[in-house]
Amino acid sequence: MAAVAPHAGAVGAGHHAADSHGDPDAMYLKASRGIRSWLFTLDHKRIGLMYLTMVALAFLVGGIFALLVRLELFSRGKTIIDGETYNRFFTLHGAVMVFLFIIPSVPAALGNFFLPIMIGAKDVAFPRLNLLSFYIYLCGVAILLCSIIMGSVDTGWTFYTPYSVQTTNSVISMTFGVFVLGFSSILTGVNFLVTVHTMRAPGCTWGRMPLFVWGMYATALIQILATPVLAITLLLLIAERFLGIGVFDPKLGGDPVLFQHFFWFYSHPAVYIMIVPGMAINSELIATFSRRAIFGQFAVAMSSLGLAILGFLVWGHHLFVAGMSEFATMLFSALTFLVAIPSGVKVFNWTATIYKGSILWASPMLYGMAFIFLFTIGGLTGLFLGTLSVDVHLTDTYFVVAHFHYVMMGGTVIAFLGGLLYWWPKMTGKWHDEFKAKVGFWFVFVGFNTVFIPQFIMGSRGMPRRYYDYLPQYEIFHRISTVGSWILAIGLFTTAYTLLEALWKGKPAPRNPWGSAGYEWGTDTPPCLTNFHKTPVFTRGPYDYHLATAEELATGWDEVGGEPGSKKKD
Amino acid sequence: MNEPNAPPTFQLPEQMSTVSADVDWLYYFIYWTSVVLFVAIVGAMIWWAIQYRERKGHKAEPTGHNLPLEIAWTIAPIFILVFMFHKGFQGYMDMDVAPANAMEIRVNAKQWAWEFVYPNGGSSDELHVPVHQPVKLVMASADVLHSFYVPALRVKRDLVPGMFTTVWFEATHVGHDDIACAEYCGGRSSGPNGELPYQPSDDPLHPYVAGQATGHWAMHSMLYVETPEDYQKFVKSIGDPCDQYASSGKKCPAEVAAGQGAKLYQSKGCAACHTTTGARLVGPSWKGIWNKTEETDKGPMKVDEQYVRRSILDPNFRVVNGYQAVMPTFLGQISDGEIDEITEYIKSLKE
Amino acid sequence: MANVSDTAQASHGEQGGDGHEHPSFLQHHFDTPAQQFDASKLGMWVFIATEILMFGGLFCAYAIWRAMEPNVFDQAHHFLNKILGATNTVVLLFSSLTAALAVRSAQLGKRNQTTILLVTTIACAGIFLVVKYFEYAHKIHLGLLPGHCFGHPMFSGAIQNGQEVGTCVRIHADQTSSMPEWVRAIDESGHEQLLPPRANMFFALYFCMTGLHAVHVIVGMSILVWVLYKNIKGTFSPAYFTPVDLGALYWHLVDLVWIYLFPLLYLVGKPE
Repeated sequence: MAAVAPHAGAVGAGHHAADSHGDPDAMYLKASRGIRSWLFTLDHKRIGLMYLTMVALAFLVGGIFALLVRLELFSRGKTIIDGETYNRFFTLHGAVMVFLFIIPSVPAALGNFFLPIMIGAKDVAFPRLNLLSFYIYLCGVAILLCSIIMGSVDTGWTFYTPYSVQTTNSVISMTFGVFVLGFSSILTGVNFLVTVHTMRAPGCTWGRMPLFVWGMYATALIQILATPVLAITLLLLIAERFLGIGVFDPKLGGDPVLFQHFFWFYSHPAVYIMIVPGMAINSELIATFSRRAIFGQFAVAMSSLGLAILGFLVWGHHLFVAGMSEFATMLFSALTFLVAIPSGVKVFNWTATIYKGSILWASPMLYGMAFIFLFTIGGLTGLFLGTLSVDVHLTDTYFVVAHFHYVMMGGTVIAFLGGLLYWWPKMTGKWHDEFKAKVGFWFVFVGFNTVFIPQFIMGSRGMPRRYYDYLPQYEIFHRISTVGSWILAIGLFTTAYTLLEALWKGKPAPRNPWGSAGYEWGTDTPPCLTNFHKTPVFTRGPYDYHLATAEELATGWDEVGGEPGSKKKD
Repeated sequence: MNEPNAPPTFQLPEQMSTVSADVDWLYYFIYWTSVVLFVAIVGAMIWWAIQYRERKGHKAEPTGHNLPLEIAWTIAPIFILVFMFHKGFQGYMDMDVAPANAMEIRVNAKQWAWEFVYPNGGSSDELHVPVHQPVKLVMASADVLHSFYVPALRVKRDLVPGMFTTVWFEATHVGHDDIACAEYCGGRSSGPNGELPYQPSDDPLHPYVAGQATGHWAMHSMLYVETPEDYQKFVKSIGDPCDQYASSGKKCPAEVAAGQGAKLYQSKGCAACHTTTGARLVGPSWKGIWNKTEETDKGPMKVDEQYVRRSILDPNFRVVNGYQAVMPTFLGQISDGEIDEITEYIKSLKE
Repeated sequence: MANVSDTAQASHGEQGGDGHEHPSFLQHHFDTPAQQFDASKLGMWVFIATEILMFGGLFCAYAIWRAMEPNVFDQAHHFLNKILGATNTVVLLFSSLTAALAVRSAQLGKRNQTTILLVTTIACAGIFLVVKYFEYAHKIHLGLLPGHCFGHPMFSGAIQNGQEVGTCVRIHADQTSSMPEWVRAIDESGHEQLLPPRANMFFALYFCMTGLHAVHVIVGMSILVWVLYKNIKGTFSPAYFTPVDLGALYWHLVDLVWIYLFPLLYLVGKPE
């Protein structure tokens, strides 16, 4: 049974003559040309690519700050920068990585590109709003750049009061930039939610929706409900600085801890905005490269929603030593343990998918397996932090830093890289060098663990975070960690090079190089402007390898089972 | 269970408090549970990814369903998690509720230094406590968030401006450990008077040279756990020497009081605006002003005990001509005894 | 999925006979007008949810401070003009009515009636803002401002002959005191009242909540002006009046927020 059968007599794309946005049946990159066709595009795929470019640049900038921070920490005392500059650099590393890179990354880049295709739609529900989201993002970037030029901020990316109210830096411009970026996130969420509800093609029931789409849907829910609270929190902080209204100032009757509650009410759900899309990609990777449907597909879909909902209930675990009541700490600790369950379900189900599959050890699968490895560590170290008495010792130390880097970088970034390598042929029509991709992977994997395992040990031994300098007993761990950052950087640059090289020197990719049963592989590679030539009808699930035809699963290489991209005969 | 007072392990510092052993036990419970789960999951993943790798003649089996398995691995972890939560909460309650016989020490934090105020009123930048004695720290911050953290004790608590936070501990053996600030509170590259960039020292008891450019990372102090005798010696050395006279009803000798007054001249901040050399600063010099008659904005005034006292508590009462009315009040920040000691000191600064 | 609806296309100026057999208002990525309408409506409801979350943070802050400083909240409402507040409430409620009627008349294709109703709605919004201006100006004059500005002599009227003659006067218990200050002020009915310490928090909340709401009134007005413009141009018909519907929906949200703000700020508290 074909996954995607043309709907006879369907209205829509195929019947339009060429309009101002280009021939709907032409390949989307060729449908219209010139800079204006990009700046004013309504095509979700182009918008996705523009986002991809921007988040990649943001990752580069945030990564450079990270390398500089780690370089400074190589030795005690001043290594390359002074204390104030160091404080600004770690703040900027955090703010750029969180707000400019990771929150938009998967949804705005890959989600924009693939969500409509995966449900058989021509575009998202509100293409103009999609473009507006991108321009709002650019405005936010511009404001943040101004803030950096004006001296930037040294409060940490969390902007805790009273320091953020008192410090003489450009807090207002930075928080206003983040405020603006929040609207980009909200509008993307609105778009995705409405698209999934109203634009699924015939036959695309909720049960047949790919897990990537479930993940984007759950993420959209969080973006919609949580980000406005960040908006009001930042507005109050700006009002506090600018007008001295006193909400966070104890001398005027305010409460500094209230800021922490407001801030984390958004920022905890935000970490689920960061990880759920990564998990969503991972489901696709594991399924395709095991040639098998995800085990417990319904549970994995529901766990995305579970994380979205439960994620709103646990923000207090960031405040266990901040001065909350004992009752509150107990409640938040209990709920934090509850939120571990859906994550665990996903990890178990992915591992069970590999069992009795047919595993292709291609570069995206390396990232998929690395995700399970690294996210498991990240998630398990979260148990230490959810346990009240142990958290008292570990909070605000490097243990926390290592934990969140394992889940955010070892989780989301690894999945993002895997997703890029997986979908690069589909997006660009070019095939990349698998060997370089694998070399890059190993440098990334080894480098990442080298950076962050010493940080767990430093943290449990008592090294606090956000320290420009440290006691002598921690120096060896800092040195190992810094060397790891260089290995990691090599891996990331290699992977970026591999992807960019493909654009220039890559051979044309076949329609379905990985032999995946996913819906997106049923269209042209790269897709035409309206994704499908005729409105599709879905007649099977996205992972139903036993129902897909041989033609659908044909990789286009000469032999399935050889090295992808090989032309080896039987 | 770890032995109480266990030495440092690879992951954890030495145990120095009554709660350390329980915290460490729970830490290792979670650690080994995690190791087992990690090895099982990642081991299975790698093993099966190799065993079922794509090769000629091998086909993937369609995914089946196994609802009992799914339910099992959703429910089973709950028991372990509930246990972790329960033990963690129990331990936290133990840490939170100070025993009734706890000795109180006040902690004042500011950017970027700790001040510990002992029951006898003396203050120090180091924390000394007697061994086997519950100590309750009542903590306040003068400016921004700070956090009191001693790794060996396994205690940590934020200091929040505008409220008092408390933390308690009972140290189990004599020794020392570092006190760190665990909540980011800013920093400076050069000191307020343009001191040189910051250099760390190799003295483990004073790893950051005090007085230089400093910040969150250098807000370091030491905890000394001492025998009761050593503790008493310490407290006496920082206390007010006039106290022993007050308790027996005698008047404190002038030279003892003046000596303490000289210390207060520095620690209360008088030296910032008044010299003892005769040189003019923000305020008049103290040299030779005792019993002088000064011209003030409201007429002549003799510098006697009443005037010194009034000026400390209500500086704008009379402002000496030629100086601005910028002296802050010390009402609530200075005791009567301390005012007497400063008065004695001023008396001793003859022309 | 429904087939394309060929029903009732009232005159919608055909912009170019490009051979499309679907209405001109149907965007290309949608299959049917029904799908487009459903998507647009859902989109607006979801956006309204985000607005509720944003105001929710402020309502949460209100709840916390009310619990922490009940005596402040008991007294401070005397300093808000209930008459003006009630007027604004009635004005907004009426404007919601005209907005809803405008949706109905757009659906019936009555262009002129729609124009009149939209203009009325916008005018009511304007009245709301003017009344707000007077309220704010009075507060500023009295020095009832947030934070450090609270009771500041600069805002409390003139100082003549060394005497403060403003109506909001800080009372110092002691010249050197660091105790919190009570404030003596004349309230809206002309009585002298004592406001307890930290009363500035109430006014911080008042200005933040009503200020953010006023920003949304302006945004709502702008949306309705744009809808009015489109209506005059003749864009709408019984088959397509979505912008009127969604604009009115947003306006109902703006009204609803005020319905909550008015009693919480103006009415709740001890009488006398």
